[in-house]
Amino acid sequence: MKLGLDAIRECFDGTVPGVMATCAPDGTPNVAYLSQTEYVDEEHLALSFQFFNKTRRNILANPQAKLLLIHPQTAAMYRLTLRYLRTETEGPLFERMRAKLAGIASHTGMSGVFRLKGSDVYRVLAVEQVPGRPLPAPPPRRNLLAAVRAGSQRLAGAGDLAALLEAMFATLRGEFDIHHAMVLLLDEQGQKLFTLASCGYEHSGIGSEIPLGEGVIGVAAREGTPIRIAHMTGEYAYGRAVRDALARGELAGRLETEIPPPGLSESRSQLAVPVSAGRRLLGVLYVESPQDLRFGYDDEDALVALAAQLGLAIAAFREAVDAAGEPAIAEACTVSPGGPPVAVRHYAENDSVFFGEDY
Amino acid sequence: MPARANPAVIDAEHARFLQGAVSIIVASRNASNQPELVRAHGCRVSRDRRQLRLFVDAAQAGELLADLHGNGLVAVVFTEPSSHRSLQVKGEGARIVRLRVDEPARVEAYRAAMVGELGRIGISEALTRALLFTGGEEVALQFAPVQAFVQTPGPDAGRPLGANA
Repeated sequence: MKLGLDAIRECFDGTVPGVMATCAPDGTPNVAYLSQTEYVDEEHLALSFQFFNKTRRNILANPQAKLLLIHPQTAAMYRLTLRYLRTETEGPLFERMRAKLAGIASHTGMSGVFRLKGSDVYRVLAVEQVPGRPLPAPPPRRNLLAAVRAGSQRLAGAGDLAALLEAMFATLRGEFDIHHAMVLLLDEQGQKLFTLASCGYEHSGIGSEIPLGEGVIGVAAREGTPIRIAHMTGEYAYGRAVRDALARGELAGRLETEIPPPGLSESRSQLAVPVSAGRRLLGVLYVESPQDLRFGYDDEDALVALAAQLGLAIAAFREAVDAAGEPAIAEACTVSPGGPPVAVRHYAENDSVFFGEDY
Repeated sequence: MPARANPAVIDAEHARFLQGAVSIIVASRNASNQPELVRAHGCRVSRDRRQLRLFVDAAQAGELLADLHGNGLVAVVFTEPSSHRSLQVKGEGARIVRLRVDEPARVEAYRAAMVGELGRIGISEALTRALLFTGGEEVALQFAPVQAFVQTPGPDAGRPLGANA
């Protein structure tokens, strides 16, 4: 059976870096380690371009390359035949890789050395498993397709926005074992995201704001692409960045509230997924974990699928509320560990946020 | 650096590094400049440091052995996983030869050393042994190093050895 690229995506997330062979026009072979390999689709992958090195010069002159990858759990080796196509220096793929690279750099003590100049996109011509005796793959934590189905049914059963958000968090906890999450919505000007609901934090942070483009969440929203980081990095620590900026007064005029965003102080893995209704961006679903390498490509796929349903449902409830002349966002709910749900009303007219009956 | 008109590319310290617990990936290319690569299972440096021997599973080598028959050109990257320290060696005149009597034991010693080195960065012995498994016939690739470069990630990557003085 032909090996699909999505069947070996775990190799891209592994702690063992890939190695690439290239060849100069004069016929001199070259071999070098890569920092980052990113799955693009079944026929393409992207490699990080950080330095003007020999590999770089070679692929620009001779686009043929071979990539050796190792499965992080089984040590199975794969050899991929690649052809260099183009380099992207902005946009969703570039931002996804830039965020991830910052995580890798911070994890490997290479912060300040690793900086993404571009995403080199390659066509994958062949995937070959190198003969060997890999370890058996560990059973998956959970069948994520079954988890998505259960979650989808829960979301479909929600009768209002509060129930919808609670269904989302219950799904994350029950089906995905994810205990720290928040849903943020884009404001009407499309400039910042405010926390609508959260779960698993000491302080709910409801109403706290993150500027578009700031940190994992802000970049996911601006680029309309999931951002997933396997190792915590200071650079993308949205909460700290925003808190620090608040302290320095730098965000004066950009943020109207000074509610600190919720967040794990020991966050190791983060995933921000845009929430849209059709093509219209509504906000971001964000999850995090104190474990390294907690979210993989499959988790990302699962949450992207659920976020699509979440977005359509949020849009439908909003329309119903708007039609009835109610405040833009009503009756959202937060779930703190052990605490009762708090109803939140966010009034777009004056950007006020009500917690229960408190202002 | 030995006081000779034509010193070996590899000095004594590098020889120790190449023969230590380092990941070794060897690359070749064919007549159409299509590259190939495979993981090796240890390296032996000759006494005068003018010949290197790498141990490779013939069944894993893909097109690499045919490429070497064709042109004898190799590029090899040696990396210490715990420090990221890397050297790349370019070679010519590569030949595929049988292992000497004492070399299977060198391959075993290499695996054991890698179990220790990768263990330091949290990789299990079972995973390391699976990574370095030989299912087919182990062969030696012997070649003359003609150039060596620092390849540790960073601004020095690509600097020829000996160019730091």
